[in-house]
Amino acid sequence: VTFETQVKLAVYGAFAEDGRAPSAQAIAVALGVSYEDVVAAFAKLRAERVLFLEPDGRTIRMAPPFSGVPTQHRVRIGAVEYFANCGWDALGIPAALRRPGTVLSRCEQSQEPLTLEIGEEGPAPSPWVFHSLVRASRWWDDLVFT
Amino acid sequence: MLFFRSEELVREWCEARGVAPNPCVRPRPALDPRDDVVRDAADARRRKRPSPAEMRGIFASIGLTGPFWDPEARG
Repeated sequence: VTFETQVKLAVYGAFAEDGRAPSAQAIAVALGVSYEDVVAAFAKLRAERVLFLEPDGRTIRMAPPFSGVPTQHRVRIGAVEYFANCGWDALGIPAALRRPGTVLSRCEQSQEPLTLEIGEEGPAPSPWVFHSLVRASRWWDDLVFT
Repeated sequence: MLFFRSEELVREWCEARGVAPNPCVRPRPALDPRDDVVRDAADARRRKRPSPAEMRGIFASIGLTGPFWDPEARG
């Protein structure tokens, strides 16, 4: 297992535990390595589009499907509430954690609240849809907007 | 990607902003955790950026085809 993979697993493990983005320092302590090595691994994972970082290059903004900042797309699994980067990622969090959950969001036009149960067999039947303004080839041009 | 109660509300939202609506996606075909593609994509140990060909395959498996869903399309 490469060092970048160890860092990636530590990041995803931390998100899974409490729904919050771990700091580079927390990952360094957890792995018993230097802060600088973790920041370097973050940069490699960003280049591979596994992580998306804040402009400081050391703060995790996204580890898809998890968001490091609060968003309108929340997922409740057990006692933990997670933030997703977008509607599609909200569906991905129960899949990533392999646990049933509840997606809480809203209709962007009517502001009607959305509550969507995600079971072991996927989302319950629902008339809701999601929509992207950005074509797939441009998603990473401005990932926050996407 | 934003949620909407219906495709009609997507059209209203886009019209208010002067943008053209794109194809909508329903939650059910977008995610079936029994699907190998979904399981692999969700597995942190395997997570990596899929190649364009893999992305096209993922999208096609849930019925999303055409230039809008092509990761290598120009424009």
